[in-house]
Amino acid sequence: MDFSPLTDALASKSYEKIADICDDLMLKVAAEGIVFQDEWPYVIHLLGYYYVNDINSARFLWKSIPSTIKDSRAEVVAAWKIGQHLWTRDYAGVYDAIRGFDWSQEAQALVAAFSELYTKRMFQLLMSAYSTISTQDTALFLGMNEDDAAYYVQQQGWTLDPASRMLTVKKQPLVTEQKLDPSKMQCLTEYVFHLEH
Amino acid sequence: MQSIENLVTQIQGLSSNASDITALKDYLKAAEDLLRSESTRLLSFLDQLDPSKHSLGYLYFLEPCMYCSITKERANTLVPIIARFITSCSAEQIRYVPEKFINVCKRYKDQVLLLEAPIRGVGPMLTAIRKIQSSTEHLTTLHPEFLQLCLLAKCYKAGLSVLEDDIYEINLPRDFFLYCYYGGMIFIGQKRFRKALELLHNVVTAPMSSINAIAVEAYKKYILVSLIHHGQFSSTLPKYTSSAAQRNLKNFSQPYMELVNTYNTGKIAELETYVQTNREKFESDNNLGLVKQVVSSMYKRNIQRLTQTYLTLSLQDIANTVQLNSSKEAEMHVLQMIQDGEIFATINQKDGMVRFLEDPEQYKTCEMIEHIDSSIQRIMSLSKKLTAMDELISCDPLYLGKAGRERQRFDFDDFDSVPQKFNI
Repeated sequence: MDFSPLTDALASKSYEKIADICDDLMLKVAAEGIVFQDEWPYVIHLLGYYYVNDINSARFLWKSIPSTIKDSRAEVVAAWKIGQHLWTRDYAGVYDAIRGFDWSQEAQALVAAFSELYTKRMFQLLMSAYSTISTQDTALFLGMNEDDAAYYVQQQGWTLDPASRMLTVKKQPLVTEQKLDPSKMQCLTEYVFHLEH
Repeated sequence: MQSIENLVTQIQGLSSNASDITALKDYLKAAEDLLRSESTRLLSFLDQLDPSKHSLGYLYFLEPCMYCSITKERANTLVPIIARFITSCSAEQIRYVPEKFINVCKRYKDQVLLLEAPIRGVGPMLTAIRKIQSSTEHLTTLHPEFLQLCLLAKCYKAGLSVLEDDIYEINLPRDFFLYCYYGGMIFIGQKRFRKALELLHNVVTAPMSSINAIAVEAYKKYILVSLIHHGQFSSTLPKYTSSAAQRNLKNFSQPYMELVNTYNTGKIAELETYVQTNREKFESDNNLGLVKQVVSSMYKRNIQRLTQTYLTLSLQDIANTVQLNSSKEAEMHVLQMIQDGEIFATINQKDGMVRFLEDPEQYKTCEMIEHIDSSIQRIMSLSKKLTAMDELISCDPLYLGKAGRERQRFDFDDFDSVPQKFNI
């Protein structure tokens, strides 16, 4: 099996492409009738899905893995544990699953990249959903201890009330583009023409 | 009298340009009986043919092999041959005999399922669709076969590529029913409930002279997805639904109609009891998973209803109203709804309060404008298509005959009489 597109993507850290590359490769290999399951990089495939936040597809992939592989390859089971916590939205449990396994060399970079991305996503969620939150919960969401978590968010402008251990969230104003370009005039003209006729 | 060897030579010689191929097609059609009688030998001749250059001939040789009873061993030999053929064949050539190509592909699907490896068929079936389609707007018989393989192989994402196309041309009604039903199931699996509803709606409201099983199953899922996505279900079907559907669908889905009534009470405990009591019925329809999603959607529905009455509410009050066990559970529910974009709110842990907000979308951004733009473009092209269809039907003799018969005879403005029969 030619895994070169996959190894290239991993080497160039284009992690967002991993899921699609794995999907296409799997269909191609299956069509040729090759029995691929034993050699398939399920760990990378699952992590690729988590990276683009496609937990549905990760679930289906897990369901399709033969039980012999689930029994014999502990890393695959460990990789799915992350997905399980993502699926049940056990936000803190995701970090436990990431840290609770000694990842192989080829998976390490991707796991680390996903962990970083997940922390950022959690931070964005906290920022949009909370006006005040305890340091304890923040630590759970960000997968850090309380002091590190407090430091991290204060770098982003949040304020800490040391007495109550409460953090006040600083919302970042959303910058969205509002500039229009002249081609829109052409579109508008077409619409009016269409409506008139 | 032709022999197989002669046919092979002809195929090799007459496959290079369009006029040769037309002649070849006639020879092959004449030799169909011979091919069928010699079907057991044909496989051995395939080595002499190139599936990409001699696609038409290859297809004529391959198709009779599909008719013998297929065992697992035979499937093992045939499946890779067909897969290779589909991938390398010339679309132009196979379009001369689309029924044969479709037949081969359908048998291919059967064999892949016999070998219990549906994933093997997903890639080639998609290639087959793209080769046989006259355009991406054309729904072929292979579409539902492909979607079925995607469902069985759990390659839901692969099915999406075909479901994104807008369909304007259909060959057989059965293709359409199955395509929409399987497509609905794929969207349900990907949790894209709005698109699932669209497709299931199409099955339920499609023209049908008598009720069919696909429409019944689709209706059951339609009810469930409606509850999950909209939090409500209306049993009135649109005017354009067939009378067969209007009369019969509800009778076949009694447990589901009861589920809707229980859902509308807003009481989780009652809903859960009802589901438990009728568990077997839902399970035998393979709908238990969806029913469970209906139950969990009720919490969401109840919380959303609160946003219409309150500006701020304590987490404990939310927990009490919605029947959750603790304010922490309520907090997690609200957080998940914020994450999914189902609600706009901020949680204030210090005071244990939730403040409900307005949708911050101002519809002023470039992204939103692009979105509206592309929707308008799609509607404009749909409108043009409808105008073209309308013009075509206005010239159709059947239509004109009927219109002529039913027209008022005594309008001042129309003195031309429309003849009742056209002899064209």
